[in-house]
Amino acid sequence: MTPLHQYLFLSALLFGVGLAGALTRRNAIIVLIGIELMLNAANLNFIAFWRFSRHPELATGLMFVLFSIGIAAAEAAVGLALIIAIYRHYRTANLDQFDSMKG
Amino acid sequence: MNLSLSILEFAVIGAGLAILLADLWTPVPQKRNLGYAAAAAVGLIFLASMLMQAAAPAYAFEKMYVLDGLALFFKRFFLFAAVIVLVMSVEFADRIEAGIAEYYALIMFALAGMMFAASANDFILVFVSLELITVTFYVLTSFQRGRLHSLEAGVKYLILGALASAFLVYGIALVFGVANTTNFGELMGSARVASARPVFLLGLLLVLVGLGFKIAAFPFQIWAPDVYQGSPAPTTAFLAVGSKAAGFILLLRVLFSAVPEITVNWTKLLMVIAGMTILYGNLCAIPQRNLKRLLGYSSIAHAGYMLLGVAAMNSAGSSAILYYLGAYLFTVLAAFTVICVVMRGVEGDDISAVAGLHQRSPLLAASLSLAMVSLAGIPPLAGFFGKFLLLKAVVEKGATQPGCYWLIAVAILGVVISLYYYLGVVRAIYWSKGSAELSDIKVSWPIQVSLYACIAAMFYLGLFPDRLVNIAMEAVKALKL
Repeated sequence: MTPLHQYLFLSALLFGVGLAGALTRRNAIIVLIGIELMLNAANLNFIAFWRFSRHPELATGLMFVLFSIGIAAAEAAVGLALIIAIYRHYRTANLDQFDSMKG
Repeated sequence: MNLSLSILEFAVIGAGLAILLADLWTPVPQKRNLGYAAAAAVGLIFLASMLMQAAAPAYAFEKMYVLDGLALFFKRFFLFAAVIVLVMSVEFADRIEAGIAEYYALIMFALAGMMFAASANDFILVFVSLELITVTFYVLTSFQRGRLHSLEAGVKYLILGALASAFLVYGIALVFGVANTTNFGELMGSARVASARPVFLLGLLLVLVGLGFKIAAFPFQIWAPDVYQGSPAPTTAFLAVGSKAAGFILLLRVLFSAVPEITVNWTKLLMVIAGMTILYGNLCAIPQRNLKRLLGYSSIAHAGYMLLGVAAMNSAGSSAILYYLGAYLFTVLAAFTVICVVMRGVEGDDISAVAGLHQRSPLLAASLSLAMVSLAGIPPLAGFFGKFLLLKAVVEKGATQPGCYWLIAVAILGVVISLYYYLGVVRAIYWSKGSAELSDIKVSWPIQVSLYACIAAMFYLGLFPDRLVNIAMEAVKALKL
């Protein structure tokens, strides 16, 4: 069986890639994809920790992941709807252009 | 399993669904009045909550959910806030092109999220309730689909909010990995063992990032001014009061009932965050001309003041936070109700729009001025006593932690700076010359009632603070301080 630390390493990598994408990319959809990667990194962590825990019969980790997947879906749905609405006005999904409020 | 404990939340969700259903059979011109029905329903639930008692903490859902004095205090707080916000949104209804009933329903669903947050005793419930609040607020923020500022505020809140929740989830995963539980009660037992593990501390810090975002604490405050400015006024009011208070109850629960042993070592960190938040909010508010943006920066500063109570780490500090939130509730709701009425047809929410307000409507002028004076912390209004209690708690802490005196100096400096911009608004109301618009403003009776209630509460809490202070002292006994 793959040892725990390899899962944790993979998940940290996934989190880092997602964070880098969210911070450096300007396209709103790519940024959302980056954030989804970060959420999935956390989910992977949860599953790995649960699988290797001393009491896997307590399904806390699994349960959290189910909640997390559901909420991430809701967030993505609202986010994409918002980006479509804003695209209709600006004709772009570039975050740098949405900067009319300053001060 | 004791479902009856969360009867208030289920009642709010049920009322929200009922509003959505009623929308189907309501003719279009009547739709805005559904808001009064929603406000009445939430008001009834608020009265019912007054009958509830929580002598000993009671648990439900495998101890995920706790009903104690603290939870009940915050549930009443959120319910009252939602009543005023719903009345405000009826006033706002004609500025929303479509789907006003959904706006009311979403406010109620966010309210349910806040009430669950008040009872969170497990990181799972922390996450789910926080996301219920945040995801509904993405929609509430961008509800004026025709206004670019509203959409922009929505996108900014979405991106930064989702980023913060990603940090929160990753943090919870690390905490779970070390402690093998997400329940606060079980964490309390195992935290002493786990405290040596850096991974556990990293996880807790990431959780704090997520919560710091909700309360707009430095350095996670960047979204607040833009979102406050761009959102519809009732959303901004609910964001300023409800969402911030939900962040604070979760912060108190995590710090003082899940990991009190670790929190003790974080005094310095919390002190620095509090000081920076106060300074940042107050300094940036000075040049603002947009009233909602000004209140956005001011809300950052107030989060800083409340963090003083967290940094004090004694029951005096935590009960001062509760008192301060109570005072802040009435003050901010009064301010936003006036903004909601006055800024009809004004693009940009500029301060000049309130010029000569005392001639157009003395009630609105008085409410906004009193709210500003209370936010600035001038006696005898509620805001003064709140700041006094917070500083008193920090002074008590000062005996063991000399750095506290610096923090007090920073807080007082912040109050002095804030006098300038709060009184600038008052000056614009009464003493500005050459206002273009001098027609009378008609104020509907529900708005009048809520304004009178807020003014009365501001004076009552300022002059007779004992009652709320006692309630707050009782409530924080639920925390391990």
